[in-house]
Amino acid sequence: MIRLEKVTVAYGEQVVLDGIDLEVPTGKTMVILGESGSGKTTILKCVLGTLHPVSGRVLANDLEVGKLTDEELLRFRQRMGMVFQEGALFDSMTVGENVAFWLWEHTTLSDDKVEERVRMLLQFVGLESSLDQMPSDLSGGMRRRVAIARAMAAEDPAFMLYDEPTTGLDPFTSKSICDLMRRVQREFKSTNIVVTHDLTDAYRVGDLFTFIKDAKVIATGTRQEIEHSSDPFIQTFISLDS
Amino acid sequence: MPVRRALLFLAGVLMSVQDFTMMIVKSFRYLIFHFRMRESLFEMDRLGVGSIPIVFLANLFAGLDMALQFSVVMAPYGASNLLGRVVATSIIRDMGPVLASLVMSARVTAGITSELGMMATTQQIEALLVMGVDPVDRLIAPKILAGMVMLPALSVVGDLLGVLAGLMVAQLGAHVPAPLYWSGVRSALTLPNLVNGMLKPFVFGFILVAIGCFYGLRTTGGAQGVGRATTKAVVSAAIWILIANFMISKFLIDIWGWKL
Ligand SMILES: Nc1ncnc2c1ncn2[C@@H]1O[C@H](COP(=O)(O)OP(=O)(O)OP(=O)(O)O)[C@@H](O)[C@H]1O
Ligand SMILES: [Mg+2]
Repeated sequence: MIRLEKVTVAYGEQVVLDGIDLEVPTGKTMVILGESGSGKTTILKCVLGTLHPVSGRVLANDLEVGKLTDEELLRFRQRMGMVFQEGALFDSMTVGENVAFWLWEHTTLSDDKVEERVRMLLQFVGLESSLDQMPSDLSGGMRRRVAIARAMAAEDPAFMLYDEPTTGLDPFTSKSICDLMRRVQREFKSTNIVVTHDLTDAYRVGDLFTFIKDAKVIATGTRQEIEHSSDPFIQTFISLDS
Repeated sequence: MPVRRALLFLAGVLMSVQDFTMMIVKSFRYLIFHFRMRESLFEMDRLGVGSIPIVFLANLFAGLDMALQFSVVMAPYGASNLLGRVVATSIIRDMGPVLASLVMSARVTAGITSELGMMATTQQIEALLVMGVDPVDRLIAPKILAGMVMLPALSVVGDLLGVLAGLMVAQLGAHVPAPLYWSGVRSALTLPNLVNGMLKPFVFGFILVAIGCFYGLRTTGGAQGVGRATTKAVVSAAIWILIANFMISKFLIDIWGWKL
């Protein structure tokens, strides 16, 4: 379970999130929709604890993120997978090393075992042939896949966060990434937050949907509830997409 | 409101000092309790071995120039028998470490800031945090260790090279015989001089790397931000090296008095 209670975030004078409430039940996927710059990435940063809200609290399985010490935060994040907007792969390492990184850092597995697991993960995302390539030599879609494989390397991630995993990809690649996210959820029974501004992709992966506008949540619920919302912004958003 | 702005500025400076101190304290804690052999060796190789040519060049020409200038100054007093001692003393105590560090700041500090800055702007630093790894542990601590180990090592060899370059000028230009030059050099190898010659590069190595890391980690604002951070880091590393140089000189002279 991930829950945000009255979370407010401001950069200087600019209020980016204004008393946001959000709840993602265990094992479900919450999609956050909203315009560019509406604060979607900021929500993920609060969940990760890389950004501290001015007020309000963030709970992850009854752990209050804001109350954790630096060491506890590092430990807490070990059970968390995050796919960044641009992938954020370590560009001085090969694809294989990127995926192996978590295992090297947090386990004492032998090199053979690590390689075996890395191959398995890369196979899962369909990139086993890119093991020795550098991230800069991959296409955008491939980088996103590697990022997903890297986020999955954490043994049994309890939470998966995706920041616009399909933005800038062609429809085929987008669909395959969405399928991949679905498979990850089934595999790990993880609690997920997916940020996107693409409604088609949102419907593919989401169980629940939240719209953010002007620093507030304007609607949240299942697909039916969202589609029957009377909010003009949501209606425009939906009609623009279809 | 100028008062308000001044207070905000002061608060910003204090925050930076606090952040910097935190980074250093954490680095040393990681070096002691979570030492990373592989990363440390890698950084030592990259920082130290890669810098050999520029440090040697800097010291070579410092030695040549030093010997030249001193021989001109000292010849009228018939003191050229002191040439070896003066050249060695000034190279070991000041010119060697300072020049090498200033040249190194262009390579090491700029390299570290731009690398870490690039990582920060492409969210790689955040990715490390998210994967439960402290960037200070994985990236900073090994670099700081490498700076503190490799600069003294480079300095010793660099000093030797500077003294040899001085010998060349002494023989060809100032007609000081080699044995006389060498006995001067030997008399310069006193405890205060040697401590000075090791302590300075040790501290400068720390400054070079720590400042580079600090500015790199805090970089925001894309490619332009990386450029800005790099410039700031190199300039402040150079200035802090000169400040530290003076303070260490003063400190050691206070301890040993005016003995050479
Ligand atoms: N480090 C920062 N300093 C100042 N302002 C920031 C910072 N990070 C984000 N912002 C501001 O906060 C707002 C929300 O940013 P955020 O990255 O959460 O948007 P987003 O919804 O993820 O947008 P996008 O869809 O373009 O990724 C933006 O208006 C941005 O200008
Ligand atoms: Mg974003």
